[in-house]
Amino acid sequence: MMLSRIADSLFWIARYMERAEHTARLLDVNYHMLLEEAQQSYQVRWDAIITISAAQDLFFRIYNDANPRNVFEFLGFHEGNPNSVANCIHRVRENARTIRDRISREMWEDINSLYHRVKDFRPETELAAGPHRFCNEIKFASYQFHGVADDTLPHDEGWHFLQAGRALERAEATARIVDVEYHKLLESPSALAEPDNHQWMAVLKSVAAYEIYRREYYSRIDPQRVAELLVLHPRHPRSIRLNIAAVKSSLRAISGAQAGTYANEAERLTGKLHDVLIYDRIEEIFQRGLHSFLTELQKTCWAIGAEIARSYFYYAVAS
Amino acid sequence: MAQAQPSRENLFHDYDTGAFFDEMFSAPQTPRPHYARIFEEFAGMLPDQFAQYRQLADFAFLLQGVTFTVYSDGQGTERLFPFDLVPRILPRPEWDHIESGLAQRVLALNLFLRDVYGPQRILKDRKIPRSLLYSSRHFHRDMIGLEVPRGIYTHVAGIDLVRDSKTGDFLVLEDNVRTPSGVSYVLENRMVMTRTFPRAFQNQQVLPIHHYPAELCQILRSLAPRAGNPVVVVLTPGIYNSAYFEHSFLAQQMGVELVEGRDLVVDGDVVYMKTIRGLTRVDVIYRRLDDEYLDPLAFRPDSLLGVPGLIGAYRAGNVALANAIGNGIADDKAVYAYVPEFIRYYLGQDPILHNVETYICSNPPHLSYVLDHLPDLVVKAVGESGGYGMLIGPASSKEAIEEFRVSLKADPRNYIAQPVISLSRCPAYDTAGGLMAGRHVDLRPYCLFNGESVTIIPGGLTRVALKAGSLVVNSSQGGGSKDTWVLRGDV
Repeated sequence: MMLSRIADSLFWIARYMERAEHTARLLDVNYHMLLEEAQQSYQVRWDAIITISAAQDLFFRIYNDANPRNVFEFLGFHEGNPNSVANCIHRVRENARTIRDRISREMWEDINSLYHRVKDFRPETELAAGPHRFCNEIKFASYQFHGVADDTLPHDEGWHFLQAGRALERAEATARIVDVEYHKLLESPSALAEPDNHQWMAVLKSVAAYEIYRREYYSRIDPQRVAELLVLHPRHPRSIRLNIAAVKSSLRAISGAQAGTYANEAERLTGKLHDVLIYDRIEEIFQRGLHSFLTELQKTCWAIGAEIARSYFYYAVAS
Repeated sequence: MAQAQPSRENLFHDYDTGAFFDEMFSAPQTPRPHYARIFEEFAGMLPDQFAQYRQLADFAFLLQGVTFTVYSDGQGTERLFPFDLVPRILPRPEWDHIESGLAQRVLALNLFLRDVYGPQRILKDRKIPRSLLYSSRHFHRDMIGLEVPRGIYTHVAGIDLVRDSKTGDFLVLEDNVRTPSGVSYVLENRMVMTRTFPRAFQNQQVLPIHHYPAELCQILRSLAPRAGNPVVVVLTPGIYNSAYFEHSFLAQQMGVELVEGRDLVVDGDVVYMKTIRGLTRVDVIYRRLDDEYLDPLAFRPDSLLGVPGLIGAYRAGNVALANAIGNGIADDKAVYAYVPEFIRYYLGQDPILHNVETYICSNPPHLSYVLDHLPDLVVKAVGESGGYGMLIGPASSKEAIEEFRVSLKADPRNYIAQPVISLSRCPAYDTAGGLMAGRHVDLRPYCLFNGESVTIIPGGLTRVALKAGSLVVNSSQGGGSKDTWVLRGDV
């Protein structure tokens, strides 16, 4: 019988790991785009990364200027930023420590050694070397984490909480990226016309979707197609639809609910959202307004997380 | 690779046994028979090779996260428990003697606890002053008359032994029958040692120790108040506790749930744990939380670590706790002085292992002797453990001694004093000197009591004071540990 606290920790281990990976990808891709870019768009771009990370207020309380150095330090290492990569990895390990009797020895060793490696990274050294080394390390650490988990954990409820955590975090992160990037476009409509827009290439690369896009659409980079790929694609591993489907199937595996039914509010919300993502067309979504669609979607993701906690982690006990 | 250079490069070059009993050497450069193989192994090793083994071992511990937490710096830093590669070896005959002495002592301690929380025959027979018991803050009067499952109080005991250099005999330094920790290091040390240095075990016949968790689990299961497959849990204060690694290690090795207070809830005098499927009844709790923190309704109301109502459930007989509540009275260092008497009183036997001579400061003639000889004595607070609240006279400044004198006079019941024991030494690697050097060691074997007999895993935890000259082996104060071997056979 799985303790609520353990399920809670597994769910959050996956979320923090995903958050670390996602932040590392953003940093890596944008930093490298910058190397080829004209200096003028520089300010806008780094602002956007901070916006995607939902941390503008915090950032500008610490720094005056959104330059690459500051952004890298803030998102990669800063102790004052609860969602910096280093803090996420720290929280992954803290959670793993509280349940290390219930995860595999290999998983613990993997997480623990990652924590020690990240602790040894120094922002100045990494900046001098270029952020790629650090970001790549985090990216592959995340792949390795899931590989080790898949191969050493029994695929029981605990594993499903891990899957649900990762998928929910990823759906939210993708929604935020698409939302922020479109928002920027609206502010400078000329960019929409730019052929093979580099900014959109960066977006695709930051979610490992550039190559898939090329294969799927054979076309120049068209923002609406990019949105379609990232929001509605049934098989792209970072699309919102695929990840909501993953949350749905993990929640169903945990509760044992039959297809077409739901056991709790989290499952109801997930199923409803999944249907929208299956049956809506990107043109319809654009007509109604992408921003309001994505805002609503992020709220739903947040509610799903809260409902999972209410059903499984922090239910009320009469006594 | 460079060839081994004789003598100068030898790790034991210039090794000085000093005026101490040395565990490895009977005379300079002459190893005792049971150490012959290991001496050969280390003496034939280049410092570089040795450094490689050390690195491997340290890395293994770091990777495993075998750490403890130090609070003295105010932040709760995680540290590796330093591990020294030279094993502590005990020959079989000597171990057999220790083992029988420990079993005898644990039986007597359990009988004592049953008695003082039961009929109190020993008080009526005036073998120990009533005032000594009733003045201890670890004596829980409210536990008198409570029937504990199968009459077991001391399920797990860690008895600290030291070897006196003067006589070469082992003495009991203190009893730990509350929540002794350290057994996970015993098991992990052995695992790391066999992994990093397998060669040392060849032709050695070291007695195995890995059955400890299974034995412990069996005892815990036997306490269950209900028939059927009992639910056993380990209760930990959480990841910030210094022994957290051990709690999670034991839970994992026993295959039971590790819980924190917030995972448990008591309803109608029954303990449940909160699972993703609702509440599941708990039968046995191996608690690694001190008595005072177990239940805010019964003890410290400010404790957030415990479970409200737990003691009610325990009294109602719906849940078993190991170790029992109130064992602290047996750990009291003034009560310790009476343990040889307990052995005679309850078992009608002579103690096999002796105590260190002890002055009980609540006894006026003892107190005046102690006050006159403070610079030569070790003074300890009776209720403390872990090397806290202690004065080592010969190693202390005048000011520190005078400070202690004031506390002693103000509250004599709170202190005992003992002569300084010249602890035996064992070679340990001295990082500064790059050579082996004699360092003081103690020994904590772990004893499991199932209600009838005592099982002790061969050896135990050898702690070593890694600082030159230091007598304090506690991990919180610069101590390390060694793998401890008991060899099968006569040597």
